Amino acid sequence: MISFINVTCSFRKNAGVKDLNFSIDDGEFVFLTGPSGAGKSTLLRLIYMDLFPEKGKVLIRDFDSSRMRDRQIPYLRRKVGMIFQDFQLLKDRNVYQNVAIALYASHYKTREIKSRVYDILNQVGLGHRVHHKATELSGGEQQRVAIARALVKEPMVLLADEPTGNLDPRVSIELINLLNKINKKGTAVIVATHNYSLIKRVPGARLIQMNEGEITSIT
Amino acid sequence: MTIFWFLFKEGFKGLLRSKYSGAFSIIIIAVSIIMVGFGYVIARDTLFAVGNIRSQFDVDIFIVATAGPQDIEDFHQKLRSMNEIDQILYISPEMAAEKFKKEFGEDIFDILDYNPLPPSFTISLKSIYRNLMSVEAIASILQRDSIVDEVKYRKNFLIILEKYQRVILVVVLVVFAVLTIISIILTSNSIKMTIFARRDIISTLKLIGATNRFVKMPFVIEGTLEGGLGALLAGLIIYGVIYVQNNYLQSFFDYRLNVSLRYYIALFVLGLFLGWVGSRRAIRRFL
Repeated sequence: MISFINVTCSFRKNAGVKDLNFSIDDGEFVFLTGPSGAGKSTLLRLIYMDLFPEKGKVLIRDFDSSRMRDRQIPYLRRKVGMIFQDFQLLKDRNVYQNVAIALYASHYKTREIKSRVYDILNQVGLGHRVHHKATELSGGEQQRVAIARALVKEPMVLLADEPTGNLDPRVSIELINLLNKINKKGTAVIVATHNYSLIKRVPGARLIQMNEGEITSIT
Repeated sequence: MTIFWFLFKEGFKGLLRSKYSGAFSIIIIAVSIIMVGFGYVIARDTLFAVGNIRSQFDVDIFIVATAGPQDIEDFHQKLRSMNEIDQILYISPEMAAEKFKKEFGEDIFDILDYNPLPPSFTISLKSIYRNLMSVEAIASILQRDSIVDEVKYRKNFLIILEKYQRVILVVVLVVFAVLTIISIILTSNSIKMTIFARRDIISTLKLIGATNRFVKMPFVIEGTLEGGLGALLAGLIIYGVIYVQNNYLQSFFDYRLNVSLRYYIALFVLGLFLGWVGSRRAIRRFL
């Protein structure tokens, strides 16, 4: 599903990734670990094509970074869900609107949007918080809204960049359990984290360790 | 339909959300429209005044004293056949004497015992021929006729008028172009501030797979609505200024401002246009 072929990308001095070669299959759960500046976020950005390789190419199913045009990027991102440490929610909107906007952007019909949004919010345990503003929620709840927004489009893969960075240990564990549950339903999940304690919570997950832009081990 | 309605609602809500920056954009657009609106009225009235002065331009043709009635009638006929001439007024020696009396208050017969004033024609040319080159050409043709003693017209008046009309026209066009460009830049910059305050929405929308068009549309709709509101505000202010000028200040400034409903409609369309162009220009930077 995802293949990195001789990928090198350095978008800033002393940062980026060097000569990456690996692939991730459908339905896998993968942890990317390594110290800050190891290249974890760069690798994720290469997947959702916020960055493009200087050398090599990234293949995401039918999308090929070496042939990608700007206007095709939105169509890739509809198949790739993303969550971030800072949640990136729209602060002036309620939970429903934050999730629904992903479907409006993909041109779904209103009726389908409603049923999908309520369904996904129930799945992440936020059915009772539909009309609350994003800012009225706790960090854990906000991250669950972000997950709902990412999942509502039924992506092939969910990317999480330090998703527990702003959460306390208890909520972090709840979140990893939720991501595990999502993965069990068939969605591939890639989590970039330097919180090693979380990795043990997902037995069977693949671990890609990075350092200074290179993959040091894959287990 | 879902998507169009959604984007329209987003644009409208954006306008309500933006509050101060939105209000600032509306004021900037209103100021721009007031500048262009008054600029247009002043330019229009100046050009109209110049045209009015030009329309009063006449050519006098003095006939030799020896010409008989038939010669004068033939010449009159010749003038009638000339395509360049709009109106012809024949002034007989008696009518000229009357005119003299009216203008100077004295009877020519009391001064000279006879009437030395020759018969003459005063012609006014069609507007397209009221320029120096045409007038000189027509005067030279008329001068060649043996019945014509002298052809007189205010040559210097025409030279000055043409010079100033050209200057006014260039100034009007330049000022108009500059005002329009300033309006677009001002509008665009104020809308840019509104968008800058909400740039997180743009990055979030792009991350969830929104196309540039989807991201752009609410801001363009919001900008266009701001343009419309700015135009309404400008229309109200212009209406107020015109009302005060025409009802209270006309005795101070001998000038009556007249604008039609079409003028206000044009200002409204201009406001929508400024908002539309300004917001499209502003959002480009953030995509």
